[in-house]
Amino acid sequence: MEGDDETYILLLLSDSNLPTGSFVASAGFESYLKHGFPAGSNSRSSETRTIAFIQDSLETYARSALPFVSDAHRAVHEFKRSIDATSEDTDASLSMEELLHSLSTLDQLYHDMTLNHPARRASTAQGVALLTLFTKGFSAPPSLKASLQPNKRAISINTVVDKFKTMIRREETQGHLPICWGLLTGTLNLSLERSQYLHLFLHARSLLSASVRLNEVGPYGAQQLLLHAVRPLVEAETSRCRNKKTGILDEEFDELNAGPATTWPLGEILAGRHDLQHSRIFNS
Amino acid sequence: MSPSDAQRPTDIRKISVGGGRIVLNKLAGQIVTFAELSSTYPLKLLSPKVTEDGVAVVYALTYGGGLVGGDRVNLSVEVGAATSLVLLTQGSTKVFKTRPGDRLSSLPTQFPRPAHESTSPTTQIMNFAVAPSAALFLLPEPVTCFRSAAYNQVQTFHLAANASAVILDWFTSGRKSLGEEWVFSRYYSANDIWVEGKRVAKDVMLLEDDPVDASPLPRRQLRDKLAPYACFATTFLFGPLVQPAIKKLSCRYETIQVFKCTAPDKLIWSLSLVDDGAGAIVRTAGLEPEDVKMWLKEALRDVEELIGVDTYRRAFA
Repeated sequence: MEGDDETYILLLLSDSNLPTGSFVASAGFESYLKHGFPAGSNSRSSETRTIAFIQDSLETYARSALPFVSDAHRAVHEFKRSIDATSEDTDASLSMEELLHSLSTLDQLYHDMTLNHPARRASTAQGVALLTLFTKGFSAPPSLKASLQPNKRAISINTVVDKFKTMIRREETQGHLPICWGLLTGTLNLSLERSQYLHLFLHARSLLSASVRLNEVGPYGAQQLLLHAVRPLVEAETSRCRNKKTGILDEEFDELNAGPATTWPLGEILAGRHDLQHSRIFNS
Repeated sequence: MSPSDAQRPTDIRKISVGGGRIVLNKLAGQIVTFAELSSTYPLKLLSPKVTEDGVAVVYALTYGGGLVGGDRVNLSVEVGAATSLVLLTQGSTKVFKTRPGDRLSSLPTQFPRPAHESTSPTTQIMNFAVAPSAALFLLPEPVTCFRSAAYNQVQTFHLAANASAVILDWFTSGRKSLGEEWVFSRYYSANDIWVEGKRVAKDVMLLEDDPVDASPLPRRQLRDKLAPYACFATTFLFGPLVQPAIKKLSCRYETIQVFKCTAPDKLIWSLSLVDDGAGAIVRTAGLEPEDVKMWLKEALRDVEELIGVDTYRRAFA
């Protein structure tokens, strides 16, 4: 049953109609093309341009964001375990404060490490949209509320999401996408492995839809790439970065080899120049 | 690390291999003096005389003009209240996998090399504490990693209230004259910047010659994803002394309008403000290191009057 629940959640989250704001983000792809990249691209097809960008973008995104997804998910998992371990009448507010503290510390570090402003802007916009999706799109519908009784664990975790949203509204924390994704998928009981994989898959897929909107590839071409090019890439990058951490939840931490990092300095510059484009259709 | 760790005085005799320590203080008037200026092999610190009031210059050099696998440099710097320190290198920092011409028999016996040198990376760790109203100008030449070299650089900066800093961190594609372009094995550079005990930026850049296997996709080598550029620079500007420079660069940046290009420009740069505009991060990429140097020299022109014309010229010689 657990597996069926997870599969159903996976289907919901991979729906391309989810209102997460990713359709206005190109993660620097629009700027990359506008600036005449990749170098020597006149001799290349628009399809190879799209593939090259997805490869470089996914590599740097996996190494810089996945550690935050993983740690946010782990923190939620720890919280759920502590709730399950306590008796019905124990006050959960202490571990709740701990979880909120971990999440906002992760959020602040991601903010301090995400230094180009269009990327910061896109990340917080999508993070907040995800949490809104959770509270508005995953709560019980009014007519079924009475027969859908949430358990203690669900009540506590929903409270965490509400409190984190309040912290974002009060500007006490930023609400960056990788942290919100880890929180959301942890809350919905998606396993860490699936959460990591789906996060990178969605990044790659939104680059493909950006490519369609930018007239680089057609909708069928995008579908071909999603099946034959994105799949091995998402698998390879997930497996390379699945054990990377932020260092915030661990006492032993080999930061030089296992910590978050940007791997594409050129991508940083191009993404940072997004707003300088004379005309543009994306927000990042 | 907390600011107090960085400021804790170290006994000079305790400095280990590759260690160095600079403590700059102000005496009466505009006279600055080094309370400490010490280093051990392979690091060497030299301070030429400068004429500018309140400014001291230190060259951080390495014996043989480069670093090899296994070398560890650990430099700790305190810039005392109301002083300015300019830290330079002479020529680019060359990182070799092994010291050229080194054979076991020819190793200088007074400096035995660690046995693992050919496999372990070169590591430079630098900690800076900048006191109130002081300024740090870290303007080295770029790092150049040779074939198969592995390099780690971890720099931490603690700025007090009203302290300022210009931090330049850059690297090149390698020894182009020998056909080496992006063929090092690893380049890792972290810059962790704190102002009054609060982190304002942590930039971690990692380049590895280790593309994932995503067959049937072609492997993306470093040169594929960084083309056509051979030099990347990141400049961090923080504090009251550099506000005019930030303002000028921001204005210049905002006037740029990008229309559709058919090929990449020979130089490209970006600017992002952080810490509510109190700091800026400028990234630059160019076809040649010389292009980037000329651009930086012009872009950071406001620094010239802070450190003196001669010192500025030395920094971008």
